[in-house]
Amino acid sequence: MYTKSWHSVGPTLDECIKCNICTSYCPVSAVTDLFPGPKYEGPQAQRFREIGQPLSPDHSVDYCSGCRVCNEVCPTGVKIAEINARARAQIMAEEGIPLRNRLLGRNETLGKVGSIAPALANFGLHNSFSRLMAEKVMGIAREAPLPHWSTEGTFGDWFKKTQAVRLKSDKKVVYYHGCATMYYEPFIGKAAVAVFEHNGYEVLVPPQNCCGLPLLSNGEFDAAAGYHQNNINKLLVYAQAGLAIVGTSTSCTLTLKEEAPELLDMHSEHANTLTMATWDIFEWLRERHNQGELKTDFREINMVLPYHAPCQYRAHRVGKPAQDILALIPGIDLRESQARCCGIAGTYGYKKEKYQIAMDVGAELFDFVADQGEDVEMTACDSETCRWQLEHGTNLPSRHPIEFLAAAYGLYDLEKRDLVQGA
Amino acid sequence: MSDLLIIGAGLSGLMAAYTAVKAGMRVNVAAKGLGSLHWCAGTIDVLGYTAEQPNVPVKRPLEQISALVETHPQHPYALLTNEHLAQTLATFVALSKDIGVPYGGANNPGDNLLLPSPAGAARPAYLAPKGQLAGDLSRTEPMLIVGFEGLRDFYPELIAENLTKQGYSARAAFLPKKLATNRRDFTNVQLAQGMDSKEQRALLGPALKKLVRPGERIGLPAILGIKAHATILAELERETGAPIFEIPTLPPSVPGVRLYTALRSYLQGLGVHLTAGMEVLTAKTVAPNGVPGTVQWVESATSARPLKLLADKYLLATGGILGGGFNSEMNGRVWETIFDLPLTVPQERADWFQASFLSPQGHPVFSGGVSVNKAFQPAAENGQPLYANLWAAGKLLAHSDAIQERSTEGIAIATGVAAAQALSS
Repeated sequence: MYTKSWHSVGPTLDECIKCNICTSYCPVSAVTDLFPGPKYEGPQAQRFREIGQPLSPDHSVDYCSGCRVCNEVCPTGVKIAEINARARAQIMAEEGIPLRNRLLGRNETLGKVGSIAPALANFGLHNSFSRLMAEKVMGIAREAPLPHWSTEGTFGDWFKKTQAVRLKSDKKVVYYHGCATMYYEPFIGKAAVAVFEHNGYEVLVPPQNCCGLPLLSNGEFDAAAGYHQNNINKLLVYAQAGLAIVGTSTSCTLTLKEEAPELLDMHSEHANTLTMATWDIFEWLRERHNQGELKTDFREINMVLPYHAPCQYRAHRVGKPAQDILALIPGIDLRESQARCCGIAGTYGYKKEKYQIAMDVGAELFDFVADQGEDVEMTACDSETCRWQLEHGTNLPSRHPIEFLAAAYGLYDLEKRDLVQGA
Repeated sequence: MSDLLIIGAGLSGLMAAYTAVKAGMRVNVAAKGLGSLHWCAGTIDVLGYTAEQPNVPVKRPLEQISALVETHPQHPYALLTNEHLAQTLATFVALSKDIGVPYGGANNPGDNLLLPSPAGAARPAYLAPKGQLAGDLSRTEPMLIVGFEGLRDFYPELIAENLTKQGYSARAAFLPKKLATNRRDFTNVQLAQGMDSKEQRALLGPALKKLVRPGERIGLPAILGIKAHATILAELERETGAPIFEIPTLPPSVPGVRLYTALRSYLQGLGVHLTAGMEVLTAKTVAPNGVPGTVQWVESATSARPLKLLADKYLLATGGILGGGFNSEMNGRVWETIFDLPLTVPQERADWFQASFLSPQGHPVFSGGVSVNKAFQPAAENGQPLYANLWAAGKLLAHSDAIQERSTEGIAIATGVAAAQALSS
């Protein structure tokens, strides 16, 4: 009988043997004195956060970026990042949530509102005066790589518009697009749909909500619980029918699987059914490949490609499936980054007081890309905010691995970031 | 799918990975966290003490091992001939040079080194990183032990005083913290990373030069850089005119981190896939015709469903109680965590420990583990392997009290290399 090794978060602090490996590998405490390190903020401080303790011992826990490198290197399985996330939420509950955090947590609402008039919204947000005001009034760093709303319609618009030509098949898969694909980068969704259909799968895109991760990392747990419950309500029927729910945003899929249920203590049977049905897209593609079902009619893509497996991806603990699949494409000279984190950590690096920390953390990755030589034209990474940070830090375009796969099938133009007409 | 899946990324797992990949196998390594090298002093302890003479450091460990295996025929060292053991250690020394973290031994070949511990004790070790060799207490130069103000867990006065009491000539000195770091709070690993920067260490050499007297050697906490360690050592010796040695500190240990980092990246260059944060929980085995059975796959924890890890052969290098190779309950039950292999550990809690806490005989619970046959396969008493495609190495193995003996790294290297040779032949 298989039993999970995760206990609920709290008791894992008893597993801490105080070896400080986490602090030695923490990318944030490596660059700033403002964050003393995971051991001190996590298992150590947690002993003072017991019920009845009037106030949290240390506000510096807000400088934890939530990258989970500590969990990854911990030899005894302490859920340090989760202990920190809960501590942050406790502080927010005690002291109130700043307007900025409320806004940054509401990616879905921002996406919807901006998409009403995306050109105007882009102009409104992306000019130096607005960015200065956003920094002064709200504390959103003016240099931070905020996304642009899609001016060609949302992913949902495109999917509806092309219904007539979408593949119908007995083999079906549910696509979880997440907010970034819906409102900012619909081309990621187009590439994913093209890859699914090329492999004979009909794509279903049922109504869905934000996964709630931005709320979780900004300390707004109650609202996040609402989102997760909505997703359970909307997606459960598909999970119960045995369909895979596959996402292109690796932090969204991690939240649906593990972060939301664990941080919010939502361990109902329904929540667990959703967990077990959810896949990151390359995790799912690798499973197809292992079953001998993945088409490998690849065209050559000749390039040196630095690839960064983001920390949110590593937190899935499924190895590096995107790397495994990209390695099948002839011509790609994949260079694996050993960098711990790009620094941005969702909305962390957007914040004025954390922008420079995020850039200093990312330096390890930016230097790695620079070391790969002059010929590098673009980079690859599975997570949207990480790609935006990578572009910001390297001045090179960054792509989702699914874009390379779609391109290798001859279905997608990597330069234009759109499907090849007539393919 | 790989030829070999190694579970565990401590010294035995990494040495096995090196041996197997050199033998042409495709090797994956899955580790729960980062390996136990982060906890060790970075030295290779082969045999430091025996139960018969618990207070006398072993002088010539390989010779002593010949005697040890006579009286302890089940000891992990008894699985190898003495020549084979010497060969595996030579393999490690050659590898250490290739990865840029060179190791060496005592001036008189075959002797143990005696190195100062952070408490000022004399610690027997067979091999040590180049940066610790000048600390050998068989050398006669008086020692200047230098610490930094504010650095926790390194007290030069304590070290010098204890060394003096044992008849070695040593004195202590402090340098201001700013010579080591501008950080408010730090770990030893962060200090070492900081030292990689030339600006950070610019003032250290001149400050040491002022402190040191002619003829002295200088002992420093092990924070002299990670990537630039060799350069820093050479720089400081040139600037001070004195031999420099490092004294390992409390975990995480910088010499351990250097060895782990260099080994890992070297292995990755050879095509070994090493994944940390991948905790193997359970195994799927079949035994249609009784013993030996077959391991079909193992499963690791993920954010959702377990992940199947497939290989032709499996090497268990998960360590002992500390490394997570076995676990225990209050009532005395002790079990191997993945395959539930039989353990030699007493299953009654009352039988775990001797009456005396510091008993020179060691506690039975610490010498328990998995019994293997001559081919390093977990085996029944008659030597029959339990699974045709499963091997084991390192601290998991039964019949030695490695902490008491000071033999942890020697056993890790010897059994890691020899197990991989056995399974790849």
